[in-house]
Amino acid sequence: MLEIRNLHARIADGREILKGIDLTVAAGDVHAIMGPNGSGKSTLAGVLSGRPGYEVTAGSVLYQGQDLLAMSPDERARAGVFLAFQYPVEIPGVNNMYFLRAALNAVRRARGEPDLDAGQFLKAVRAKLKLLEIGEDLLQRAVNVGFSGGEKKRNEIFQMAMLEPKLAILDETDSGLDIDALKAVASGITNLRTPERAMVLITHYQRLLDYVAPDHVHVLSDGRIVKSGDKTLAATLEKHGYAGFETASV
Amino acid sequence: MIVKTETAPFLDAFRARSRSAEPAWLTAHREASMARFGELGFPSRREEAWRFTDLRPLQRTTWGVHGGYHPATALLRYEFTEPTHRLVLMHGRFAPALSRIGPLPSGAWLASTEQTLAERSDLLAEAIETSDTVGNQPFASLNAALFEGGFILALEPGVVLERPVEIVHLGGEGLRPNALHVLRNLIRLGARSAATVIETYAGEGSYWTNGVTAVHLAENATLTHARLQDEPRDAINFAMMRALLAKGARLDSFSLTTGARLSRHDIVVRMEGEGARLALNGAYLLRGEQEATTAIVVDHAAPGGTTREVWKGVVDERAHGVFLGTIQVQPHAQKTDAHQLNKNLLLSRRAHVDTKPELEILADDVKCSHGATVGDLDESALFYLRARGIAEPEARRMLIEAFAADALDEVENVALRRHLAEHVQTWLDPERP
Repeated sequence: MLEIRNLHARIADGREILKGIDLTVAAGDVHAIMGPNGSGKSTLAGVLSGRPGYEVTAGSVLYQGQDLLAMSPDERARAGVFLAFQYPVEIPGVNNMYFLRAALNAVRRARGEPDLDAGQFLKAVRAKLKLLEIGEDLLQRAVNVGFSGGEKKRNEIFQMAMLEPKLAILDETDSGLDIDALKAVASGITNLRTPERAMVLITHYQRLLDYVAPDHVHVLSDGRIVKSGDKTLAATLEKHGYAGFETASV
Repeated sequence: MIVKTETAPFLDAFRARSRSAEPAWLTAHREASMARFGELGFPSRREEAWRFTDLRPLQRTTWGVHGGYHPATALLRYEFTEPTHRLVLMHGRFAPALSRIGPLPSGAWLASTEQTLAERSDLLAEAIETSDTVGNQPFASLNAALFEGGFILALEPGVVLERPVEIVHLGGEGLRPNALHVLRNLIRLGARSAATVIETYAGEGSYWTNGVTAVHLAENATLTHARLQDEPRDAINFAMMRALLAKGARLDSFSLTTGARLSRHDIVVRMEGEGARLALNGAYLLRGEQEATTAIVVDHAAPGGTTREVWKGVVDERAHGVFLGTIQVQPHAQKTDAHQLNKNLLLSRRAHVDTKPELEILADDVKCSHGATVGDLDESALFYLRARGIAEPEARRMLIEAFAADALDEVENVALRRHLAEHVQTWLDPERP
């Protein structure tokens, strides 16, 4: 599904943040990428989703055999890549439903499926809303405007449920959530696990992984993956912190 | 007397016109106005009010007052969806075949300026002002000298028009290109009367529309006003609205500017009576080589008045938008509550906006604010939409539409808001059928 080889990337001020990432994600797998602040987690999510402001200086990323880095952000999304934002953007004046229908129909067209009309769309929306305990009123508002932190993150998972991506990258989706919102988001993610869908959970803490058991856990430190293991690695990190890995990466 | 050379063709046209069936006071007013225009000439960019406006498209053409018209312009796309009293003016002249007025309640007058001059010249007297002859408003002076077309709406006290009045000004080249259409309009509402007026300016070809509209609202009168200026790319549109609001009167106006190569929209409002309420909002959507100035002066001359002004600009390609907004509060106009905001979205590196909001407050117990912003599309919002699969042109369009639609939120009348939103859509998708 996803093959990252020796990925190097820098940010606008010229600092190199990713210093040779290697990662292979197979269909159906859930990978957790953990690491301290500044280790390059969000840069990795940004580079994979095509966010402006990063420059890839070396390496490659293949998604379903295609050069992901050569695709525009919207081409990636239409090809089935989904980024759940750490900080979902507020867009005044753009209605949530209108936005989501435009997005869904763009993705459907790319999959060779017909557009959904307003009635079909509403039906699809209602089915997914239940899954995430989101009130319908949220959808009548402008995209993320006036949403609480928890509502924004739920809205991200809701969009993921609607768009049905092949590869989902969740950037710190657990940050800033209280325990109820965390449980709701985690159960949403768990419900979206399928044998075809790959997920990359980027997180600082283990707590999301208590609810969504990953198949693989990687430790990111100073722009490199310094250790990989199964879900028990997350527990080790929780107990001992990142200190040991930071030294190991030097 | 010094006469500026650029005014010569207009003086010639003035001398050539027939003045047969006109009251003597009007002829005298026209002559004094023409003399005033001769003295003033075209404004210079050294004058503050004209500093940002590039008048070259006006100056490099000789404009003439020619008769005749060709009724080719598609009217349909401008028609209001709800039933109205529709008055269509071709080059300022009443076009009966396209109009549909009435039945009007008693105490209501709605007719072309020509017909009003013939039958109710007393009403027309209200549409002229001393500033035509002595002020520093050259285009209003020129207008007073040469006007023939326009419309007059007058309601006696207590008359409420249920249906909106729809005025469609269709411009065109007439017998020759570069025609000058000179319109003088009046909306006069008696005490407690109410009306909705929707004005549309459109047409085809190269012409210059010069319109002056007087709005007189007596005590507790209410006017809901919308103005759509969608003149063709070769046209020039100059419009001046002079409004007087008596005690408790309410003017709710929205202007949408999408057309004309060069346009200038002057709005001068005097809040004469206590507790008058003004909502003066608008949007200008410009592209290509368009040059559009909106210049507003609101003068609070009585206590307890409120003003709300929100103007939004979307400027693309090499277009130039100008917003000049002044709110004045006279010493005795205490408890004035006046707010003005101008927000602009620049869509290209060569697009340009000049904005100058000003407050001149001479009273001490007031609530006033003003602000202006000029910015690009929000890159993070653009990325968010694209990260969900929406292609860049569509994502940009959604954000531009959201910016412009926000201005339309100020329009309370739902049908009117939908009507204007349709035109915003048409601007966003020019290819749309």
